[in-house]
Amino acid sequence: MNTQRIGAIFEKDIKDFMKNMMLLMMPIVPIILALIYSRLGEGEELPIPMLYLIVGVTFSSVTASCMMTMMAEENEKKTLRGLMLSPASFMDIIIGKSLVVGLMTFIALAISLFFAGVKPFLSVQAIIGLILLFLFFLFLGIGIGLFTKSVASTSAYLMPVMFLFGFTPMIEFFGLGEDSIAITIADLFPIMQLIKMHDTNSWVPIGVVAIWTIGAALFTYICFKKERTDD
Amino acid sequence: MENAIKVTGLRKVFDQHAAIEDISFSVKPGEIFGLLGPSGSGKTTTIKILTGELGQTAGDVYVLDINAPLFGTADFKSRIGILSDNSSLYERLTVYDNLKLFCKLYDAPLEQIEVMLDEVNLKEARSKVVSKLSKGMKQRVLLAKALIHKPELVFLDEPTSALDPGNAAHIHRGLQKLNEAGTTIFITTHDMEEATELCDRVAFLDKGKIQELGSPDELRYKYSTHAFHVETFDDERLVIENEAGNADKIRDLIANGEVKSIQSDNPTLGQIFLKVTGKELV
Ligand SMILES: Nc1ncnc2c1ncn2[C@@H]1O[C@H](COP(=O)(O)OP(=O)(O)OP(=O)(O)O)[C@@H](O)[C@H]1O
Ligand SMILES: [Mg+2]
Repeated sequence: MNTQRIGAIFEKDIKDFMKNMMLLMMPIVPIILALIYSRLGEGEELPIPMLYLIVGVTFSSVTASCMMTMMAEENEKKTLRGLMLSPASFMDIIIGKSLVVGLMTFIALAISLFFAGVKPFLSVQAIIGLILLFLFFLFLGIGIGLFTKSVASTSAYLMPVMFLFGFTPMIEFFGLGEDSIAITIADLFPIMQLIKMHDTNSWVPIGVVAIWTIGAALFTYICFKKERTDD
Repeated sequence: MENAIKVTGLRKVFDQHAAIEDISFSVKPGEIFGLLGPSGSGKTTTIKILTGELGQTAGDVYVLDINAPLFGTADFKSRIGILSDNSSLYERLTVYDNLKLFCKLYDAPLEQIEVMLDEVNLKEARSKVVSKLSKGMKQRVLLAKALIHKPELVFLDEPTSALDPGNAAHIHRGLQKLNEAGTTIFITTHDMEEATELCDRVAFLDKGKIQELGSPDELRYKYSTHAFHVETFDDERLVIENEAGNADKIRDLIANGEVKSIQSDNPTLGQIFLKVTGKELV
């Protein structure tokens, strides 16, 4: 790892991000959602699941989506090759990009929660939860970005990530019974665990989310091994 | 360092098809070495193996005295420069920003950007967005990118294929200057004139093997029929063998004022290639 090279990748990717309309639209999505929800709430505090829906949308449409789009574009345009032939290591490249995505996520999340209500997140536990959740989506984005060869194909992978992990709280609107299997499984999903955390103050949900994050890291590692070691 | 590149018994198989059967050659430090061959003969594959982008199936590869398995290190990568056949640039960024990225990745001083822009004749285009450049201009930015960190050894995969003759000549002069300053150059090309003009030695690659190797002059002599082609003012064309017994014949022709032109029969590299491989280079 080399900070100068990470800095160079970061600088390049920030400039590129600012000129890419498709990427620039992404952080707008959760902000608009937050604005709409807060209007609907008519000044009252939004319920926790609603807030986490905004968080989920931010992490899936900014973190995961931007990461996989940026990586897929490097693959598609063959610019990744130039980076790989340079002294920059693959780690430098990924970290440089992650910093850009992290910055954009932070901005989008801060603005969204400013409108929707930031208070419930102002505790160490909630912040740790958000960081783990961010890493979870970041790893998914990197992993998928490793094997997608074109920007167009990323949306096929983004949709399941978004609906499964970003919109999980929406499952309540499906009118399934409390004890249906779908609900039981969905309850174990990272966002549902974080919602539960706010009711109980227990650290168990954080542990469950940490396991999800480790799982996502493993997924990324497997994708890396598969994509980077054969000719 | 005795050899900048040393390859022995190199073989590369892609899904049971051998792109490179068995090749051996070496390149001396300070040399311009040309690898010539028709499309699909394995030129790009060879460069990819020499730069560590692909592993070989068999054979020994040393570049700058470093063995192939160690090509992944930052040290090795910063000693070589690469212009590959489908390198590309960040289309939304300016020429300057593209070069700045690689300047920083290779830990070269930022002044090198101006030096290289001048070298490839692109000073005015520095603030242009890459997507607005012509193909030839992009190629020149890529060349600047490949040379920005002053590598000891550069690999150029068809560097002038997208350029018009004026720009190609400009690049040729630049490469000669670079070579005079001590840089070793490994170049692949389809262009026989380019090879004749630039290369100290060339290798003809075909059917996965090196079919011929030598300096352009050596090869032209080797494949010469050693005859003189004489054209007289009577529009007669004579072919006179380069033999002692023919000296008087030529002397008489000249003495009688009959000779309009006289040429030795040294084939061009293109003709030699055709003879050796039975293929035109296109
Ligand atoms: N990654 C790969 N997988 C399978 N086959 C490959 C791969 N790369 C190259 N080949 C095959 O190896 C052979 C040599 O290809 P290569 O690109 O080295 O040729 P080349 O001499 O550079 O041609 P050109 O002048 O068209 O650039 C071709 O038959 C090609 O199809
Ligand atoms: Mg090629």
